[in-house]
Amino acid sequence: MTQDADKVLDHFELFRGAEYKEMFANKRANFENTHPDAEVDRVREWAKTKEYQEKNFAREALVVNPAKACQPLGAVFVAVGFEGTLPFVHGSQGCVAYYRSHFSRHFKEPTSCVSSSMTEDAAVFGGLNNMVDGLANAYSMYKPKMIAVSTTCMAEVIGDDLNAFIKTAKEKGSVPAEFDVTFAHTPAFVGSHVTGYDNAMKGVIEHFWDGKAGTVPKLERAENGSINFIGGFDGYTVGNIREVKRIFDLMQVEYTIIGDNSDVWDTPTDGEFRMYDGGTKLNDVANAVNAKATISMQQFCTEKTLELVRNHGHEVLAFNHPVGVAGTDHFLMEVSRLSGKPIPAELEKERGRLVDAIADSNAHIHGKKFAIYGDPDLTYGLAAFLLELGAEPVHVLATNGNKAWAAKMQALFDSSPFGANCKAYPGKDLWHMRSLLFTEPVDYLIGNTYGKYLERDTGTPLIRIGFPIFDRHHHHRRPVWGYQGGMNLLITILDKIFDTMDAKTNVAGQTDYSYDIIR
Amino acid sequence: MSKLRQIAFYGKGGIGKSTTSQNTLAALAEMGQRILIVGCDPKADSTRLILHAKAQDTILSLAAAAGSVEDLELEEVMKVGYRDIRCVESGGPEPGVGCAGRGVITSINFLEENGAYENIDYVSYDVLGDVVCGGFAMPIRENKAQEIYIVMSGEMMAMYAANNIAKGILKYANSGGVRLGGLVCNERQTDKELELAESLAKKLGTHLIHFVPRDNIVQHAELRRMTVLEYAPDSKQAEEYRTLARKVHANAGNGVIPTPITMDELEDMLMEHGIMKQVDESLIGKSAAELVAEAALVA
Amino acid sequence: MSVVETLSVEDIKARNKELVEEVLRVYPEKTAKRRAKHLNVHEEGKADCGVKSNIKSIPGVMTIRGCAYAGSKGVVWGPIKDMIHISHGPVGCGQYSWAARRNYYIGITGIDTFGTMQFTSDFQENDIVFGGDKKLAKVIDEIQALFPLNRGISVQSECPIGLIGDDIEAISKTKSKEYEGKTIVPVRCEGFRGVSQSLGHHIANDAVRDWVFDKIGDKLLAFEPSAYDVAIIGDYNIAGDAWSSRILLEEMGLRVIAQWSGDGTLAELEATPRAKLNVLHCYRSMNYISRHMEEKYGTPWVEYNFFGPTKIAESLRKIASYFDDKIKEGAEKVIAKYQPLVDAVIAKYKPRLQGKTVMLYVGGLRPRHVIGAYEDLGMDVVGTGYEFGHNDDYQRTAQHYVKDATLIYDDVTGYEFEKFVEKVQPDLVGSGIKEKYIFQKMGVPFRQMHSWDYSGPYHGYDGFAIFARDMDMAINSPVWNLTKAPWPPKPQPLQLAAE
Repeated sequence: MTQDADKVLDHFELFRGAEYKEMFANKRANFENTHPDAEVDRVREWAKTKEYQEKNFAREALVVNPAKACQPLGAVFVAVGFEGTLPFVHGSQGCVAYYRSHFSRHFKEPTSCVSSSMTEDAAVFGGLNNMVDGLANAYSMYKPKMIAVSTTCMAEVIGDDLNAFIKTAKEKGSVPAEFDVTFAHTPAFVGSHVTGYDNAMKGVIEHFWDGKAGTVPKLERAENGSINFIGGFDGYTVGNIREVKRIFDLMQVEYTIIGDNSDVWDTPTDGEFRMYDGGTKLNDVANAVNAKATISMQQFCTEKTLELVRNHGHEVLAFNHPVGVAGTDHFLMEVSRLSGKPIPAELEKERGRLVDAIADSNAHIHGKKFAIYGDPDLTYGLAAFLLELGAEPVHVLATNGNKAWAAKMQALFDSSPFGANCKAYPGKDLWHMRSLLFTEPVDYLIGNTYGKYLERDTGTPLIRIGFPIFDRHHHHRRPVWGYQGGMNLLITILDKIFDTMDAKTNVAGQTDYSYDIIR
Repeated sequence: MSKLRQIAFYGKGGIGKSTTSQNTLAALAEMGQRILIVGCDPKADSTRLILHAKAQDTILSLAAAAGSVEDLELEEVMKVGYRDIRCVESGGPEPGVGCAGRGVITSINFLEENGAYENIDYVSYDVLGDVVCGGFAMPIRENKAQEIYIVMSGEMMAMYAANNIAKGILKYANSGGVRLGGLVCNERQTDKELELAESLAKKLGTHLIHFVPRDNIVQHAELRRMTVLEYAPDSKQAEEYRTLARKVHANAGNGVIPTPITMDELEDMLMEHGIMKQVDESLIGKSAAELVAEAALVA
Repeated sequence: MSVVETLSVEDIKARNKELVEEVLRVYPEKTAKRRAKHLNVHEEGKADCGVKSNIKSIPGVMTIRGCAYAGSKGVVWGPIKDMIHISHGPVGCGQYSWAARRNYYIGITGIDTFGTMQFTSDFQENDIVFGGDKKLAKVIDEIQALFPLNRGISVQSECPIGLIGDDIEAISKTKSKEYEGKTIVPVRCEGFRGVSQSLGHHIANDAVRDWVFDKIGDKLLAFEPSAYDVAIIGDYNIAGDAWSSRILLEEMGLRVIAQWSGDGTLAELEATPRAKLNVLHCYRSMNYISRHMEEKYGTPWVEYNFFGPTKIAESLRKIASYFDDKIKEGAEKVIAKYQPLVDAVIAKYKPRLQGKTVMLYVGGLRPRHVIGAYEDLGMDVVGTGYEFGHNDDYQRTAQHYVKDATLIYDDVTGYEFEKFVEKVQPDLVGSGIKEKYIFQKMGVPFRQMHSWDYSGPYHGYDGFAIFARDMDMAINSPVWNLTKAPWPPKPQPLQLAAE
């Protein structure tokens, strides 16, 4: 018996005990009908070959380990970024349980969201009653300032009309007529969570600027000097939004963050649960129509949103998750141009510090090969940063990337000598990536938590950058934008590189050399 | 946009909805109106008379071939036919699979996002039979069709369908802007057809826009995949469609929120006009043979 | 923190009743009426907990429940490790449930084992409009080409499948024939079916019956049957729970021929009708197939509870009672063998946990099953409820587990749960990931009682030691002394002018 009250063994140690090992062997030998070891080994080796890769890349229907989620997740992300706003997802209730869990596992924070709990009868008769009752209940229980409605695929297949349903619900008194209920159709079978972000963000802005679904006059724009900022779907939203605010404040730019999730996903433990915290004030969303320009940090998260904004006369600018020196330079210079405010000396100094850090450390990164996967904008930003560091982002994969993304990636590769052997993979999944890592190995893999299976199977060290990060804590609190964010990323990458060096050189009597105290 | 008129033709399958709509729209085109037809029937036969084609390549079939609807360009799906009428067909699955209703939503979203409604005076949706699910109600959502024309005849089932469609319109009329433009009766030469059509229109709170008499020339034109307007512009039937077109054109803003009736009321109406005899409730569901046997027993 | 100990049972009843009244006041009338039926204060001696259950959740209230797909793919089928489970439909469902439940297994993932992978047909708009059957056929072909060692395939339907009328049964049959009788299991677990995960369990059980059992035919068993063969039913091996249970059954002389479904294989499912006894842990999710095996194969089944030494000993004896003296003696030996560990664990942790109160809100069997383990540590469960229980769960709870005056809440809403905890002030809340951070922010120690908060196992004697350690570390963590700043609270700030 291995268990011990003084030193309690949990799953990490317990099952390595002799009696458990014996039990596993017996189970396997007698009851599991396993394939012969030789056969398993053969297939395991075959799955590493070029031949397997070709079969793998010939897939047309099956998707294995995709790096994307569905639209309503993005819609919920948007919703909680507004003051006192309750996300309301119209459709099956299980979906909402999933979104809430998914966000909570990443942010280690609660995520409040309700469902209209449609079941079989609603599938036949439509979900109007669910909307009417759901809005009434949510409003009286959770006292939101706004409800942001999106849809699951169930409601989309049966064709429920949110605009009509919300109007009917208001007529029936579910919520007051003037209460803000924004909506977005977010079918899960179109695009991904970044599409859902776009649709929901567009829904909110359209609501406030374009007459609240025909109930009030559209806003007349009276241009001021302010700048709107939209972050996009971002696992680092807490750290990033705070960093962007700090930068804007330093520059004395007038700005509105449209969709500010930095407080709601980082509330204190002080005895009080804050269901709503921070978020963009609803008045500010309305006033944002008067801004001079609107900046999106993530083009592929905001294509429809920016079109709407552009049609209101704004200058719009879309970045691709800019990280590192040049990315941040570009961002700051555009902010400076738009606002007419100079880039202050403090930021210039921060820039210098990041360049200093790169100069100190780039020898360990230069020439290293990387594979990256994640959302389209993030992968672009990271690839650009790696090129800046002299590294080669050899495989860049976005399951939710499209042809336009791939073209943009190629243009980026073409712009740098380090991009010569790099390739973008739109619409591919992590099983494709697995083949690539076997047939064209790289030194490091950058991706989210799911990449740990690739790390285990292919031996490629994983640097965790992306969404979701379930198995490391608190990364979302640190920015990756701005020079400070670039510094964080640099340190994250370097730590893994140094840890890997140590792990490969720590066998006493064999690799005493190279196990250096100074690197 | 404000000038754009969006109308829709609904009606029971086989009622001659596509024929009526294409002829009417051809007549409107003659009047100088710029027209876009959006076929919302998986059969994709809403534009064949305009295009002289068997069936147009549909948005959904092209999207399926291209991989996704995002990969399509407007030019690929929009064809131009008689008198520059622009035509698109939403298309959809074979009967018995998939979700044709969702297909309608997909197609209309695609058209709007790609600017298909620019430089057009009329958009006409031609919608399959009944409002069977949310997807087929897409054309009557807010900011889509403002007026619905129901194509019907004096047949019981056609009137039943017309009443059902009115129910669908009523559902959306309260929250959105959709209105019932009126009924168009396609003559089937049933008993007291005009009388019935007018009576139903009245019950539904609307009016009979036009009674289109039956004429074989429609068949002749159809066999040549043409509208009567094109095939025989000087015919009497062409003039009927011109009249209908003028009435539709003049009907802007005259739509109503319909007042659909119950099945019982519908039956009562048929009885009023002597189409259906008063039926003893006890006889319902009994076969002729059973009735004979019962009569013998009583005797 | 606990206020309970200072109150009499009658006081607590009155307080809890008032509390129920209070939370109901927030709802619109219709909702209050419906929710009232799900909330109660337990009266000792009653046959059930006096709440309605397994009824549709109310729209907009923030139910904690999931869906039928979660019950089938997430709970029942997902852990069968040598089969590939296709999340059939759009990408999300499979993505959010990907490897999230910690159903431990051993195998070469991606080669002969597929547990922590996400296979999906990733429906696009075209698939909805034109139907997904052709795609499903192709998905199965591609699985066969790339994962040749899989032992079977299940098709886990997401919402659209049922709505667009795809015929996954026909495809499954055709493909099964094409691949020499391969086990391909269509499961109609669309998320909109039923009112919670529960119907998904049932549908998944039925799919085992129809597409595994009914197709066994004359397949030969790989082993010689023995008089001591049992199958573990309803243990999903979360953090290795089934393993720390299996070891006890084997130590008492039984032979475990199958695990349902944690670390399970298709061969084990197929062998189960040959078991002499099915031992059932999660009654809620697998009573259906147990009853079926009893009817069809005459296999008796017995419920057991491996949380905490009292219930473990009781259960070992109950299981042994189905066998001869050798096994009965074996059970006694096992109980005796672990007694020193139990004594040591209780000696260490009970003094730190004595009198502490707990509120639970979980799924399956846990709202009642873990009560004994808490009581072994001197703790009191003062409130409990089921995410997706049925009346038979509440009967078992009332008759065997809860004390007088326990607050009962079925399909609790986020709002109710927060209010209850705020007023009852338990020393610990045990619930899920969606609830965890809410209560911790309120300063209430919390353990996830679905996933064991990434610890575990909690089943069996080995698991009890971990359970005790974890409850202690949650309740007695120094962090709970830090939640209030040590300086006097500032007076409420005046309304600030707009920034």
